[in-house]
Amino acid sequence: MDNVDKALLATPVTAPEPRQWPARFGDELYRFALGRVTDAVAAEELVQETFVSALAALPSFRGQASERTWLFAILKRKIIDHYRRQARSPFVSLASAADEEAPESRFFHARGGHWREEEYPTDWEVGSEEGRGDVLLEQQEFHAILQRCQQRLPPQQLAVFVLRFVEELPAEDICQELRITPSNYWVIVHRAKLQLRRCLEKNWFQDPAAAKAKK
Amino acid sequence: MSNAFFLFNCQQATLLLERRADERLSAPTRVQLWAHLKLCPLCRRYEAQSRLLARQARPAAEAPVPDTLQLPAAARRRLQQLVDAHAGGPGSDNHA
Repeated sequence: MDNVDKALLATPVTAPEPRQWPARFGDELYRFALGRVTDAVAAEELVQETFVSALAALPSFRGQASERTWLFAILKRKIIDHYRRQARSPFVSLASAADEEAPESRFFHARGGHWREEEYPTDWEVGSEEGRGDVLLEQQEFHAILQRCQQRLPPQQLAVFVLRFVEELPAEDICQELRITPSNYWVIVHRAKLQLRRCLEKNWFQDPAAAKAKK
Repeated sequence: MSNAFFLFNCQQATLLLERRADERLSAPTRVQLWAHLKLCPLCRRYEAQSRLLARQARPAAEAPVPDTLQLPAAARRRLQQLVDAHAGGPGSDNHA
C-alpha cells in the first residue's frame, strides 16, 4: 500500500498509457476480480471487458484520478454487470424455478413455520462475544469455505448476496439492477442466508478436522 | 394474551430480521419480532449467524487471493494485443 501511495505522489499527471496496462495493472485487476467471482475464466473476462471499456472511454479520461483508480472503478462496474447478467438470464430463472420451488420448505415446517428439527441452527459460539468470534474467524479456511458455499447458491441468490454484502450496494440499487421488488429482494436475501448458514454449519462448524485446526 | 407473541413464526421472524437490516420496521412489528426473539433461541442463533455472514462476506472476497497469483500468460497476451491494436490506430484489427 505504501508503495502505491508513493508512486501516486511521485507520478506527475500524464496521459494514460494503455499499452502499459497489462504489465502494470493486469495482475492486480485479475486478483481483485478473482476474489469477487472465484472463477478464473470469468475473472479474465472481467479484466478484458474492463480494458475494452477503458479504451473506448479513453478520450474522456482527464487524469483527475490515477489510471489505476479509474481502471478499478470500471472493473467494479463490470462485476456488478456480471452478476446482473447472471441473475437476469432467462435460462437461469427457468432452472431455478424448477429446482427450488420455495426452498424455505426445506428449513421450516409448512404448517406453523417453525424450524424443522434437522435444521435447528446450532450454536456457533460466535453470538454474544463478538471478539471471540472474530478471532475464530480470522482463519483463512473459514473465508475459503464461505466462498465455496457462496458458489453453490443459485445465480439470483448469489447475485443478491454478493451485491449486498461484498459490493455493499444499497438494497434499492440492487432491486433496480436486478429488476426485482423489495419484497422479492428480502425473500432472496433470506434464502441465501438460510443456505449459507447451513452450508457453513456442515462444512466448518461440524467438521471435526476443521474443529481440530481451530485449536 | 401470550398468543400475540407468536403472531410471527420462525420463518417470518427470520425473514423480518433480513428486512430490518435495510429498513425501519413499524413499531408493532418491532415489538412482535423482539418478543419472538426473546422466546426463541433458534432464531436468536439465526440472527447472530446472519450478521456474521454479512460481516464476513467482504473479507472473504478479499482474503483468499494470494499476492503471488498472476494473470495467466495467455490472457496477458490477449490483453496486450487488445491495447496494442488500439494504440495502433484504425488499421489494426481490434474487433475482438
